[in-house]
Amino acid sequence: MPGYLIRRLGQALLVVAGVIVLTFAVMRLVPGDPAVAYAGPKATAAELADARRRFGLDDPLPVQLWNYVRDLLGGDWGTSLHTRRPVRDDLFQAFPASLELVGVALVVALVAGIPLGIAAARYKGRLPDLSVRLSSMLAVSVPVFWLALALQTVFASGLGWFPVAGEYDASLDRTSPLHLYTNITAVDALITGNWPILASTLSHLVLPALVIAAYPAGVVAQMTRAALIEESSREHARLERALGFGETAVLTRFSLRPALNPVLALIALVFAYSIVNGFLVEAVFNWPGLGRYAADSIRSLDTPAIAGVTLLVAVLYVVANLVVDLLQGVVDPRVRAR
Amino acid sequence: MRWHKRLLAAGAVAAVTLSAAACAGGQVRGAADSTEPAPSAGGAGSAADSTFTYVPNLDVVTDWDPASSYSNEIIAMQNIYESLTRYNPQTKKAEPRLASSWTSSPDGKKWTFTLREGATFHTGKPVDAAAAKASIERTIKEGQGAAYIWSAVKKIEAKDATTLEFTLKYPTPLDLVASAGYAAYVYDTTAASGDLKKWFGEGHDAGSGPYTVESWQKGKETELTLKAYDGYWGGWDGAHYKKLAFRVTPELTTAWQLLQRGEVSFVQRLNSQLFAQAGNTNTVQTAQTPSFQNLLVLFNTADGPLKDVKLRQALQKAIDYDGLVAALKGAGVAASGLVPEGLLGYTQGLTPKQDLAGAEALLKEAGYGPGGKQLELSLTYAQGDSDQELLVTLLSSALDKLNVKLSAKPLQWTTQWDQGKAKDPAKRQDVFVMYWFPDYADAYSWFVNVFHGEDAPQFNLSYLKDAAVDKEIDGLPALTATDQPAAEKAYSGLQEKIINEKAAVAVPYVQTYQRAFAKSVQGYTDNPAYPNVVFAYDLKPGA
Repeated sequence: MPGYLIRRLGQALLVVAGVIVLTFAVMRLVPGDPAVAYAGPKATAAELADARRRFGLDDPLPVQLWNYVRDLLGGDWGTSLHTRRPVRDDLFQAFPASLELVGVALVVALVAGIPLGIAAARYKGRLPDLSVRLSSMLAVSVPVFWLALALQTVFASGLGWFPVAGEYDASLDRTSPLHLYTNITAVDALITGNWPILASTLSHLVLPALVIAAYPAGVVAQMTRAALIEESSREHARLERALGFGETAVLTRFSLRPALNPVLALIALVFAYSIVNGFLVEAVFNWPGLGRYAADSIRSLDTPAIAGVTLLVAVLYVVANLVVDLLQGVVDPRVRAR
Repeated sequence: MRWHKRLLAAGAVAAVTLSAAACAGGQVRGAADSTEPAPSAGGAGSAADSTFTYVPNLDVVTDWDPASSYSNEIIAMQNIYESLTRYNPQTKKAEPRLASSWTSSPDGKKWTFTLREGATFHTGKPVDAAAAKASIERTIKEGQGAAYIWSAVKKIEAKDATTLEFTLKYPTPLDLVASAGYAAYVYDTTAASGDLKKWFGEGHDAGSGPYTVESWQKGKETELTLKAYDGYWGGWDGAHYKKLAFRVTPELTTAWQLLQRGEVSFVQRLNSQLFAQAGNTNTVQTAQTPSFQNLLVLFNTADGPLKDVKLRQALQKAIDYDGLVAALKGAGVAASGLVPEGLLGYTQGLTPKQDLAGAEALLKEAGYGPGGKQLELSLTYAQGDSDQELLVTLLSSALDKLNVKLSAKPLQWTTQWDQGKAKDPAKRQDVFVMYWFPDYADAYSWFVNVFHGEDAPQFNLSYLKDAAVDKEIDGLPALTATDQPAAEKAYSGLQEKIINEKAAVAVPYVQTYQRAFAKSVQGYTDNPAYPNVVFAYDLKPGA
């Protein structure tokens, strides 16, 4: 296991290093002058020169790359041209909200997707299977932006069952101030017993989390079904059937554990994908996460902020993959032995 | 340990790690010390809660320092800070704000403002002439944002507690300068014991306006909440909004749904479809006001084929002005000259019309047009701006019939501007499309920035260089300060010259503000001198 862990960590670090170089290259390849973005559209030549000096834009490219890597390693992700605050501070403020939304969405996706996959495998070729396949196909193919607007229009604006937008009712800030420990509103509200904010956050989470959950739920259901069907056709399943175990027991007691391996690998990818996919959903539901920050950064050509978001998402992909690799080792001893 | 228990444990460890990574360290979100009654969940401004909820599309605050603030925060700052005067677009004059009256010398080089008595900053200190002098001098010294508006100022003196005297290097309408939306704020420069800029950056304010900062949460949906300043000189008798909340909503559909549900009071911008829908909704009111921002189509007068004035005039005639305004569905109105209505210098009778026959004749005179040589032109415009895209589509289609091939390139502003400023004239475009707006309510901004000769082009992207035009432009501030009827005449003549004679520009339309707000909001009027600002104190919350 330690050798496996070191190997995976080494690979992850290499990927992150590659992403840093690529991010830097993209920052410098984007057309337009970051100094103009910082100093404003009516900046004088002196103000522009000052901004260029401040951000080291007159240095040769290799020097700029070295400074960028050095600053990153020192915890300095640069200064946002738009908010004029450290990018790292901005990301730490925005990311927990995205993590909260995607975290809840993934729980919903797993809770819905795995049982649906099991049901589809159990009744392969019959009505439950067809229904699951059809609905999961719909879930993965409907554009999130459209789904977000549709759910918002029907269930929030039309029926009034859920709030239209926001993370929680802002007026609660005055009546029930929230103590922050993780910066994840629902978690902090739970930890501190702030029930009004917890209830408000949960009601605000329902629609955006459902929209983000649609894609992973569909993929997880399809993958679980396929993996279970394959696993239940192996030798051990025949033996289990011969020993008198029913089909449901064969699937859930004996085939599910090995079948979960590819599903876990998929979750890592789907997690990071959902963070990015959620940007549009965050925009529709006014969720104060990375999506709004990324959109504002792109609109204002805020290259340090764009690079920060890109790097964060890339690191998330790497970390999520690493965590899943380790979890696979926990679930399946064959992985550790490889 | 069974496998699923191990999985659960590993998951828990991962969750704790992620949470720890985002650790915020025991801060409190919200105003824990607030003793104000809580507003209702909706916050649409009922008489009971008196909260006016404004929905902007972009983040509110970028820069809290009143000296350098030059961005969207104007929508909050104008409710927190005050300037000496405020511009009234109906009278086209500056009106009293912190200054109750003012006079100027006959040569327009000495201005004396008498400050209102009884005004105090939110720090409790009085707004006197010394404080006003200190704040304007700090703004000038900082030299950021729109601080250049004070460039005519040679000396400021506080003659006594209420008398503030400005001596100018050259005549300038200082009452208009003092009404600027940016860089004209009067504030308490002694508010912080240490670094004032840093203190502002933490979300503190030192203004004298009707509202003061209650809470600021960068990146949150309700980014900023302001509360009434009890010591405001205007008093709080009668019906006023006591709180002002800014709920950032980038998605227009979401903004509309929030307004429709009564959760917010005012939506800064809707698209034309939603605006039309708002007009047919009982619980919502709408308002349309021409802004001080117009679209300029600048022709390259210095190089390339458009050096020939006939070709520039032909292009002016090829633009389908009426079609464009119709297609904008209320988002723009026809322009009459360079100066928008509501500013000194606005001239009627300069509204252009499409004239394809005239354009064809001019092209022919220059050796182009149908049956002649094909004219190839390059045009740059703002990427992602659907209104400019519409102009380009209509113009391309009209020019196509005239045997003119237009290569239009949508670019990010920085790229478009860099190309326009290129040292090598061969790299510049033939046609440059951009918006222009003044930093204070004075038409001089268009002329000095966009049409005054420059050695290295900054905003003069028609590259016009005409000594006679420059001389007339240089005389405008003095005329505005000393002889307004003469200034009107000069502005009118200059527009005739720049648009008709020099054909350096075409002005297709003036942008219109389309606002939607709750029926309960009473007394709202748009003041285009302060883009997107709602002066909440002037409103009355209805039932």
